[in-house]
Amino acid sequence: MPATAENTIPSSATTARPAFAITRKRTRFLGLTLDECIQAFFGGNALVALIVLALIMVFLFREGAAFFGQNQRNLTVYRQAGLEYIDHIRRQETAHTALTRRLYDLRLAAFTQLTQNQRLSPADANARLAALDDFSVRFSDAVMPIRGLVSDLGEVAAAIKTRFNVNEDKTTQRAQLLAEGRAAEAAQVVIEPVDFAAELQPILDTLPLYRETNAAFAAGLETLLTAAPSLAQIEPGLDARMDEFKRQTRACIATFPEIERKLAAWDYAQPVPLTASLSAFIFGRDWLTASFWQDWYGIIPLFTGSLLVSIVALLIAVPLGVGAAIYVNQVATPREQRLIKPAIEFISAFPSVVLGFFGIAVLGELLRRFSQAGWVHWVPGFPIIERLNALTAGCLLALISIPTIFTLAEDALNNVPRALKEASCALGASRLQTIVKIITPAALSGIISAILLGFGRVIGETMIVLLCAGNRIAIPDFTSGPAALTQPVHTMTGIIAQEMGEVVRGGIHYRALFVVGIALFLLSLAINYAAQKIITRYRIAE
Amino acid sequence: MTLPPPRTPKIENRESKIAPPAPVRTLIEITGLDFYYSEKKALDDIHLRLPEKRVTAFIGPSGCGKSTLLRCLNRMNDLIDGTAIRRGSIKINGIDINRPDVDPIELRKRVGMVFQKSNPFPKSIYENIAYGLRIQGINTKSRLDEVVERSLRGAALWDEVKDRLHESGLGLSGGQQQRLCIARALAVGPEIILMDEPCSALDPIATAKIEELIHELKRRYTLIIVTHSMQQAARCSDFTAFFYLGRLIEHADTRTIFMSPSNPQTEAYVSGRFG
Amino acid sequence: MDTAKNAPENPFRSRGGALVWRERALFSLFRAATYCILLCGALVLGNIVFKGAGTVFSSRFPFVNTTFFTEAPETLHVFEYEGAAHRLGDRDYRAFRATETARAAAEGRPAPRFTNEQAIVYSAGGILPCIVGTLLLVAGSMTIALVLGVASAIYLSEYAKSGPVVRVIRLAILNLAGVPSIVFGLFGFGMFVIFFGWNVSLMAGWFTLAFMVLPVVITAGEESLKAVPRGFREGSLALGATKWQTIRKAVLPCALPGILTSSILGIARVAGETAPIMFTAAYVVRDKLPWQVSEISDFFFQGVMALPYHIYVVSSKIPQNEHTERVQYGSALVFLLLVALIAAASIILRARLRRAYKW
Repeated sequence: MPATAENTIPSSATTARPAFAITRKRTRFLGLTLDECIQAFFGGNALVALIVLALIMVFLFREGAAFFGQNQRNLTVYRQAGLEYIDHIRRQETAHTALTRRLYDLRLAAFTQLTQNQRLSPADANARLAALDDFSVRFSDAVMPIRGLVSDLGEVAAAIKTRFNVNEDKTTQRAQLLAEGRAAEAAQVVIEPVDFAAELQPILDTLPLYRETNAAFAAGLETLLTAAPSLAQIEPGLDARMDEFKRQTRACIATFPEIERKLAAWDYAQPVPLTASLSAFIFGRDWLTASFWQDWYGIIPLFTGSLLVSIVALLIAVPLGVGAAIYVNQVATPREQRLIKPAIEFISAFPSVVLGFFGIAVLGELLRRFSQAGWVHWVPGFPIIERLNALTAGCLLALISIPTIFTLAEDALNNVPRALKEASCALGASRLQTIVKIITPAALSGIISAILLGFGRVIGETMIVLLCAGNRIAIPDFTSGPAALTQPVHTMTGIIAQEMGEVVRGGIHYRALFVVGIALFLLSLAINYAAQKIITRYRIAE
Repeated sequence: MTLPPPRTPKIENRESKIAPPAPVRTLIEITGLDFYYSEKKALDDIHLRLPEKRVTAFIGPSGCGKSTLLRCLNRMNDLIDGTAIRRGSIKINGIDINRPDVDPIELRKRVGMVFQKSNPFPKSIYENIAYGLRIQGINTKSRLDEVVERSLRGAALWDEVKDRLHESGLGLSGGQQQRLCIARALAVGPEIILMDEPCSALDPIATAKIEELIHELKRRYTLIIVTHSMQQAARCSDFTAFFYLGRLIEHADTRTIFMSPSNPQTEAYVSGRFG
Repeated sequence: MDTAKNAPENPFRSRGGALVWRERALFSLFRAATYCILLCGALVLGNIVFKGAGTVFSSRFPFVNTTFFTEAPETLHVFEYEGAAHRLGDRDYRAFRATETARAAAEGRPAPRFTNEQAIVYSAGGILPCIVGTLLLVAGSMTIALVLGVASAIYLSEYAKSGPVVRVIRLAILNLAGVPSIVFGLFGFGMFVIFFGWNVSLMAGWFTLAFMVLPVVITAGEESLKAVPRGFREGSLALGATKWQTIRKAVLPCALPGILTSSILGIARVAGETAPIMFTAAYVVRDKLPWQVSEISDFFFQGVMALPYHIYVVSSKIPQNEHTERVQYGSALVFLLLVALIAAASIILRARLRRAYKW
């Protein structure tokens, strides 16, 4: 054995190598060794996430940024063509219509009261309400002169707008022809500039007429109110509602001078600033496209819709997800844990479009049927009228977000040092006391960030809301309280998915959808940032 | 005072050593205890009597079962899945603590515990101590104030923290944290305090303070200390029990164990030849 | 205090009955929450499996509905003729109409009249092009994402030293994971479809989906690489291997099973996303199958039909009734099975690789 060792060692030592060489010349490429090249390659790849994030930002802004300029033009035309002027008057009409509707509601309540509680036949009840009917007819007719004025002026204004739009089209056409080098044809495109001042004059001239009409309208309403029939003999409560109605009508009349003042001060030439375009988007209460009158791009109805479905989803998902996390982590036997955890994670693999289909095919109808059962009528918003609404979508979104919330919350509970649990038990705390007073507070930051990330998942989810939320673009009627949860809504994600395929590339509508995308992107970044901040700030020392 | 007949020849010498000096009353009585972690036997046929208002130290090499036995005394092992006492009993004041009508929660209120690594809750110093009372439904401010002060004084911590009771308990030094944990255990009003290597994570000065505290505490409480340090056992315990491989090898008053142990294994251990 | 001998009373008996009762009630509430979640999941799954099974499987050999898997979607014609109800796909319907007309003409009767006629798009035939399209999309995006993601993970776990750059990269990864899928769709549309001029195409879909799974793959990759014991690297380096040799020979083979499993599970979920491919890769209907192209390059720049998008179309654009249920539930079930299959494949793959590289 020693002999062989002696034999081999000298033989390898006799090779041509220097005695103890630890330096070697490496081949270099651009001054980098091979290993450094490889490192640079991987480093470059690591930047991909960053680059993608930057690219998302760049391309969303590239497509969306022009929206604000276009919207500014859109709003300028709205003003210059006199649409804005007419909408001031129209608001008066709208307010009056709302009042009339209240009057109808009142009549319905009185009718129900008479037929159900006082057991009158419908004919008798109608007879009793004749005075009220007469009043409401006269009340609703009182607006007629104003309405006539609005519709006359509206036609003029719409015509101006059309002329302007035709000119715009011609301008683009000419620019296109010029770009193609067909100057002769371009010269043939004649553009008659719209002289807004002259065109608007007929509208502005109606101001004295409007003042007259308005005074008559106000006086008419006032006389009507003083002669309003009393409902006291039907039901004292109804009379209170009548008084409320009168109060509202008077409040409405009180706004008339303000409108007149606005009209008098109105100037078509006043420029629309870019900030107005921005605020019209952020605070706009209408999302109205392809309208004959005026297109509005306001994100509020979409945002409130998204928020509403998310609230429904979180109301369901948070108690279930966090409850399940506490159960699995603290109460369940190991066997149960092994069974439940993968099962809940499996739910997260459900494709959202399949869930959306389930909502359309089964859940929507199921919920509506259920809501129609007599014994659940006390639930606000029940019975549900629309099959697809915020509740249907919210239920399914809850199912989507539960795995996220569950997994992250369970992790957070798991990270609570065991020593804390033992210390609490050693002091004679029961399991529940330990969970409520020690473990949950210690894991709270993790749980909150789990909920936030679940919220992010819900608000960014597209297919379920697109299929199941009902797609009605309107701000949910929050005055009805929790019943708002069963209204159909439209969402930010849903509107992009629905309208993107139908819009003209480069048009204002197209760009508006990208701006909604930007809003979503920023929102998701904010949610993520908040979740991380909470986690790092309130992490307990271990 | 009747013990079961010896099962193995080894128990014989324990028989003579197990009886504590006469004037002390036995508080805890462990008879024939076998304890398992799922299928692994961790404690084998333990017979032990622990005296009231004295300090007993459990010594022995790692994995000898001393911490396990300690955790049996307030049923902390219930929290670990798959553990079981297969045979034998533990009686405190004559009551078998594993009886079905014993509530481990009530038991733990009477048998406090301090852990190896200080583990204050992520709450203020005040709340850390008030916790034990609050879980019993005591929320009166004056009562809490009183108990907090008494407990902190009892743990010799009052003077150091009285001006910052509402700061986080995690801001204290290691030794202070451990005394906070002791104060927290005292607040519940236990009769027995179990200490699982309370000084193993502390520097010598903090250790000295805790040991001083142990001397103080034994006037009112029965203390059982698991320790790795033989000097500590020698310094602050009245009785010492030596464990090895899940068995109780020898139990006697501390002086005997360290000066003239009867078992060769004990002698080997205390003289530092293994462990 | 001397209760041991005199009083048999147990000082450790349970007090606070209300406390125990409350604890029990709350725990059963938590348990109910847990099982409620599982029940909901099971109900959805059960409903789709139960109703879809009729379309996808058949009682006779080969036990699957071959038409459904081998044909393209067709318009369904429902009508009554001579007292019998008929449900025919477009081609069968034309043939039927032609033969009936011919027969009537031969017998000297006027042309046949079908009553209660109803035509419902996409409700007959099968979903072959959708399955093919989905598989292509998944395979392509998986390849891109794995290459980019694993390389990125290698850098982060093997090369990078903690510093501001790495912190920013990690932050970017976390944030990328939270970006809504529809925003990826918009981005893909803006960048690949319009800016690069790829139009609605496989390429655009691949890259959009790949970027979307990137965070999943990177995270999975890093975790698997971290799980490889340090000793492997040190052992290899101590033998004089270069860093790259160490990674390639000693680290990657061990980490690969984990990387593949976690990322494929993530990718299975992404395969289920509809929003990103809506504007980048999916067509509502396309007659040709993807390989029926004249030039190779056309293959990459063609739009495809995709199963998730098809489910969206058939569940939102056509009414819900007994005639359409077949294709709706059938597509949903096939899609679920496909996703499950991808997941199962990843698990089997892991088992294989684990056996080869065990430590």
